Amino acid sequence: MTTSKTNPREPHSLPYYITDPTPLPSHIPSVPEIGATSAPLLSASYFIGARCAPYSEDFMLCRSQSRTGEMDCLKEGRRVTRCAISVLEDINKNCQNEFRKHWGCLENENHDLSRCRLDEAPLNACVAKFLSLTKVIPDSDGTPINDYETPSYFQKKVKAKYEQ
Amino acid sequence: MATSQDLPPKGGYDAIQWKRNLPSRGFRPSIYLGIMGAISLFGFWRLSVAMHMAREEKREKTWARIHLLPVLQAEADRDAVRRYYSTLEREKAIMKDHPDWADGKPVYHDGRMHLPSFVFLEDTKSAR
Repeated sequence: MTTSKTNPREPHSLPYYITDPTPLPSHIPSVPEIGATSAPLLSASYFIGARCAPYSEDFMLCRSQSRTGEMDCLKEGRRVTRCAISVLEDINKNCQNEFRKHWGCLENENHDLSRCRLDEAPLNACVAKFLSLTKVIPDSDGTPINDYETPSYFQKKVKAKYEQ
Repeated sequence: MATSQDLPPKGGYDAIQWKRNLPSRGFRPSIYLGIMGAISLFGFWRLSVAMHMAREEKREKTWARIHLLPVLQAEADRDAVRRYYSTLEREKAIMKDHPDWADGKPVYHDGRMHLPSFVFLEDTKSAR
């Protein structure tokens, strides 16, 4: 018995989640959801950004200019989702092993991109070769963070190792 | 008679040191200050390099999130719209016999769609 004079209420927590399973109404076209978890998404984020930049900008502009952002921008949102799905499908078709190594490393390193440079380099090379998407950090001042094994400044460069 | 005697050594004993011997050793203080300053400057330089790299790593992380934001926002928007229509249907079903009820009439007059502010959970008390 966990009740007492000062706490007369039994604690009750549900052994299941309460969800609203009603589907989207039929007048709204359906789109497959991406289904990827956070580590693969983080690994592929720069490639999604490279390919889907026009759709993303369209979507965010529509959202900022519309009265009811959720309802008015469903079409642009579907385009963004389809583009991201295409990126993930292409990466899995061509570079699945490197992709899995990189996001597996991220899973183990607290999603710290600077700790997974060794696995990131072959993924970047493979995606540049097969999908012609490059990872670009805008407004960067050129400090090299991508060429080293560990975040420490005085480690050997590994870029030369993977340039084939 | 060939006896051995405990005599002083030939030439006498060495001189006894009775004056104080405290030689001043070490470099002059400015050189030590220079060494400490050099080590500090080296540490500050390493610190500035690390700060620049941390800023660039933060930039990389932020841009990754910026690139992912529309994908996740689109998914959340679809979910919100689905739940909005589900709430409308639920209200319609509950209030279908009420004379003064208008289906889907908004509470606010600004013409925007507002997401439902209440979430209805299933009744757990009666199960106990």
